[in-house]
Amino acid sequence: MPGSTKLRFASLHDVELCSHAATGERAAFGELVRRHGSAVRALLRRMGAQSSEADDVAQDAFLTAFERIAEFRGEGTFAGWVKRIAARAYLRRLQREKKLGVFASETIENEATGEATGDADAAIDLDGALKALSAAERLCVSLCFGAGLSHAEAAESLNLPLGTVKSHVKRGLEKLRARLAPGGGVGVEGRRGNG
Amino acid sequence: MAEAEFERRLERLFAEAPELPDAAAFAERIERRLATGWTARRWLIGAAGVAGGVIGASQLIMSNVFQRAEAMGDSARVLKAGFNQVAPRAEWVSGFADGGVVVWVASALAIVAMGFALTRVLEEL
Repeated sequence: MPGSTKLRFASLHDVELCSHAATGERAAFGELVRRHGSAVRALLRRMGAQSSEADDVAQDAFLTAFERIAEFRGEGTFAGWVKRIAARAYLRRLQREKKLGVFASETIENEATGEATGDADAAIDLDGALKALSAAERLCVSLCFGAGLSHAEAAESLNLPLGTVKSHVKRGLEKLRARLAPGGGVGVEGRRGNG
Repeated sequence: MAEAEFERRLERLFAEAPELPDAAAFAERIERRLATGWTARRWLIGAAGVAGGVIGASQLIMSNVFQRAEAMGDSARVLKAGFNQVAPRAEWVSGFADGGVVVWVASALAIVAMGFALTRVLEEL
């Protein structure tokens, strides 16, 4: 019986699953987690969280999403909505642990790490390329391009001046562009779902 | 590569996260946590219901319900006599013959309903 329920939900669209989840169908929400759990966890890791930390935050984010599922109007994608919840939860965690303040003072001291290797044959993926960025750059780029926050929203979430966020993003993009340049061979596997 | 094009590509790369090997286990963990939360909630609701029932029953006993029921029986007899005068053939009123019986039947039904609700809650758990 539970197997057939899972099969039934597997064929539904995210929006339909959200409707079922809003009526308390936990299996429907489980299907959403199966589809988008990896993307949310990957985003948190890309923001700089350790694997276990990312999993904890992602779990809490999904539980929050289940509690607030009625608020999801289907205007954007479900994955995008949960990613924003998760990203903000991670930032709150950093703030609680007093780790957020370091981004305000971070400058271009680790510029050297961001230099492109120039090795066109090396198969560099996004995760590898992000490692070349400073923590603040990685966080800002991930927030803006992974969680879909605007520069202003990212600045507000990080409690940083807008100009600082913009410059982190700009520098981060320059480094990523060098790393991910054609010939860099970015290989990304997996499925996107509808998020 | 144009800046806008690169940014779109970057957004796409972020969206196309590879599926992690323990994705199914992660989803099951969350489903388990949701189930645990739901069970705890049902226990809480059940406990609140039982507490409410106990308080309600104690209030009934404290408010001399049995004496009131007897008084109600007398009132029912008076009412029946009144009905008989207005419509002597109205047989359905005879159900009120003993007002006290009505109270006992209602109480029994309430107890059956509470028992039914409790059984359902226990089944769900």
